[in-house]
Amino acid sequence: MRARRKTLISGAAAAALLTVSLAACGSGGGSDDSGTTLTYWRLSETNEATGAAFAEVLEQFEADNPGVTIQVEERSTDGHKEALRTALGTSGAPDIYWSWAGPGIGGDFVNNGGSLDLAEYYEEYGWASRFNDVSMSSITQYGGYDGIPSGYSGAGIYYNKQLFADAGITETPETYEELLAAADALKASGTDAIEFGGTVNWHLMRLLDNLLETECGADTFDALVRTEASWADESCVETAFSEFSTWSQDYLIADWASLDDAQANQLLFSGQAAMVIEGSWFPQVLVNNNVDPDDFGVFRFPTGTDRLYGDTSNNYVSATTEHPDEAAAFLDHLTSTDSQTTLSQASGSRSVNVEVPLDTEGGTALDATWGEIFESSEGLYAFNDQNLTLAQTTEYFRILNAVASGDIAAADAGPQFQSFIDQQS
Amino acid sequence: MSSVPAMHTVQTRPRRRAPRLRAALPFLAPALLAYVAFVVFPMAESIRLSFFEWSGFVGAEQTFVGLANYVRLFTQDAVFWTAFGNSVIWVALSLVIPMPISLTLAVALDRRLPGRALFRTVFYVPGVLAAIAVANMWRWIYNPRYGVSEGLAQALGLERLQGIQWLGNADIALFAVFVAFVWQAVGTNMVLFLAGLQAVPPELSEAAELDGAGAWQRFWNVTLPSLRPTMVVVVVLTFIGSIKVFDLIVGMTGGGPAQQTQVLALWSYQQSFTNHQYGVGNAVAVVLLVLTAAVVVPYMFWTARRER
Amino acid sequence: MLWWVGIFIAALLWVLPLGFVVITSLKDEADILGTSLFSLPSVPDWGNYLEALETGGLMRSAGNSLLVSMIKVPLGLLVSASAAFALARIRFQYSGVVLAVIAFGAMVPVQVALAPLFQIMLATDLLNNPLGLILPYIGFGLPYQVFILYGFFRQIPAELDESAVMDGASNARLFFQIILPLARPALAALFILDFVATWNEFGIALVVLQQQESWTVPLAVQGFQSQFTTSYGPINAFTLMSIVPVLIVYLMFQRYFIRGAFAGAVKG
Repeated sequence: MRARRKTLISGAAAAALLTVSLAACGSGGGSDDSGTTLTYWRLSETNEATGAAFAEVLEQFEADNPGVTIQVEERSTDGHKEALRTALGTSGAPDIYWSWAGPGIGGDFVNNGGSLDLAEYYEEYGWASRFNDVSMSSITQYGGYDGIPSGYSGAGIYYNKQLFADAGITETPETYEELLAAADALKASGTDAIEFGGTVNWHLMRLLDNLLETECGADTFDALVRTEASWADESCVETAFSEFSTWSQDYLIADWASLDDAQANQLLFSGQAAMVIEGSWFPQVLVNNNVDPDDFGVFRFPTGTDRLYGDTSNNYVSATTEHPDEAAAFLDHLTSTDSQTTLSQASGSRSVNVEVPLDTEGGTALDATWGEIFESSEGLYAFNDQNLTLAQTTEYFRILNAVASGDIAAADAGPQFQSFIDQQS
Repeated sequence: MSSVPAMHTVQTRPRRRAPRLRAALPFLAPALLAYVAFVVFPMAESIRLSFFEWSGFVGAEQTFVGLANYVRLFTQDAVFWTAFGNSVIWVALSLVIPMPISLTLAVALDRRLPGRALFRTVFYVPGVLAAIAVANMWRWIYNPRYGVSEGLAQALGLERLQGIQWLGNADIALFAVFVAFVWQAVGTNMVLFLAGLQAVPPELSEAAELDGAGAWQRFWNVTLPSLRPTMVVVVVLTFIGSIKVFDLIVGMTGGGPAQQTQVLALWSYQQSFTNHQYGVGNAVAVVLLVLTAAVVVPYMFWTARRER
Repeated sequence: MLWWVGIFIAALLWVLPLGFVVITSLKDEADILGTSLFSLPSVPDWGNYLEALETGGLMRSAGNSLLVSMIKVPLGLLVSASAAFALARIRFQYSGVVLAVIAFGAMVPVQVALAPLFQIMLATDLLNNPLGLILPYIGFGLPYQVFILYGFFRQIPAELDESAVMDGASNARLFFQIILPLARPALAALFILDFVATWNEFGIALVVLQQQESWTVPLAVQGFQSQFTTSYGPINAFTLMSIVPVLIVYLMFQRYFIRGAFAGAVKG
């Protein structure tokens, strides 16, 4: 009797364990007999046309490569960053992932062994000649061949033409002084001059980044973000923070701290705020929100340097992938002239593939302006959350948020950040 | 997922089958295994990692740094002390504010009032909702443009209420989140008090009434003392629950603005998973563990001794 | 009467937040942005619910949550009950110490274990698998359940099992045929409480489940909120739909919640 009961219990336990492990197999593994599944993580595609074009590119690849399936997973910006940080280097990592290329994000993944060196595939497919120098240098900046170019974007000041006209601003600001004058004019006309959402800090950061570039100049800016110059000693840092404080007190929407970016952008769309610093992807956002892109203009933040504020992004192959060949084949397909033409026509943005011409007809006037901005810019200064390490970024956010809300004096901001940098090393 | 009930009264009896450990083991083994593997081991691992520097990437080196992570926390990390202070404030508020509300509600709903069952449900339901869902609801209520203060301002014509930065103003954000917590927590404690009130012998109250004691006196001298065991349970549960507050803060402020609503549990998570500093993150976790243990372990000894 | 009025006002206050959410979920965008939070929708608009369902992956997440709960809750309860049985009815030299050690786990904040748990799930290939939640959930659910059941089992008169033992019954038979049935009220209460707790759990799930398709409901709620911040109508509809299952469970098994509270508080 006792023996039977015992068997029963262990039987039940075994059955339970079996259920667990069976189910684990069912939902876990990446491949089965019928072929190979590649997981690909990217940012959420919010634009319908681009999404459809991407689906078409995917379909074509799967048709050309029977047995290979691409499983796409999309997340919002912060969700994507956090998921990558947690999953890379683990068995939960995707086979391929899209990421910003700067040292604080993509570089961090590369340095921690999250990216597969694609040197052999660059040779096999002859990729190096497919992309321009800016793109290629973002691939090779960490010593190997990490990733394949995906895109590059610039960021500038978008403004509501009507509100500018109402405030009597006839020319887009060419110097920082003119920008301040414009902000004053807008304020005098009863409009919030600029809007950012403040809940996740990296939108408001764009203002501070640009003020740092303006006050410090290109060389010092680079030295600061590489932590080669001292944030405590360079006097331009204090000036930048002080300007930043002025902007947030005088020209920024009052409830920036409780709004997130999408909420704050609604104020721009509805004409309650006049400016925002956004990327070259923004015309699509306008269209998606049923706003006429022709109501808006864009100009480079008048920093006094000729550099473009922006970033490069790549598609990386995960170091832990079991299907590097298939992944490379997919990336080859994704960046091929055909695919890129399809994608570029849908999005109206420039392709990383040098053979793909920019289709200006489909794009908005804003896209055309961006073309001019890209042409006339010399060099790049990246978003600081891509330059700084993760922990530094967290602290940078804290300080800029506190300065904007008046909790930290502009004079204390630089020294506080520097002491954080010092304790890290 | 868990909470600490009071120790139970136990009278020991001699048992017959020997050796008893061998008989007990098959029944105990699954629990011990799960407990050791998923509670004890991670806890020990967390303590170990707090003495190392590690980026968290698989294959990245773990470097022993001794007490450096703690030194950094205590002397250099500006956010740590904010988080520490906020956790203390949160625990203190949790002990002071929801409890009297719960007790009042319990006393009221212990009476035969029409609609009593419905009232009880109304207060209790927030307690069964996921904190993250509650956070979402209150985020909307606090929306500075379309939320409750805007609605009140319109309804009452009070412009001062307009555009209050409930979650964006560092001075009030933590308390705004706390209001959501009160909304959620009051019902659970109310039910505990209701249960406790059932155990108050009615004869005592009747006798007091015969002696000419007023309602307030009866409550103060009879009901409250009889509720003491329940009170202790509620205090301990509240303490354990509030010191690890996490979901609500994540869902409502993410620790912002400028880390001013940061708490220990979230700062530990963010140091590990957002900043990729697993050593420091686990050091924060250990601080949290020590704080909890410092309060709960004496309580456990105290009840164990009292029961004996 | 005074009591009733007071309680009524308090109850009204307590319903209000939920009321705002319901109202908002039924408004179209123009109504949400154009009218006060307090005003009712001009025409109830169910489109928000459809939109939330279509874009948020709620059904998939609900499936994951259900899978986790349906395995975790009974399995965890069985594990806890058998441990409580060993501690309360068989007893051995250090059973008191074992009980204390297990009870100690109730105070361990789960955040203390998050980073190592992530590493464990990684090593066992259970990341992004709802089933990777089950084992830690069982571990962290044990202390409370063992404690409550221990108390229950101790109250069952010793004569019961003594007579059973005379009949030659094994411990297993004693456990399954006598003790467990007698503890049915406590088990039912714990089952319901644990179901709700499992359904709502956020911290561990946040760490273990990175991929959207493995998300449980709380992660889907948070994900939806962070992705569609300005879709106020759908967000509120999504939140409401996410709490429907626990609401149903609560309304169906109300008395067990009360009993569960009793088990924890009164007998203490």
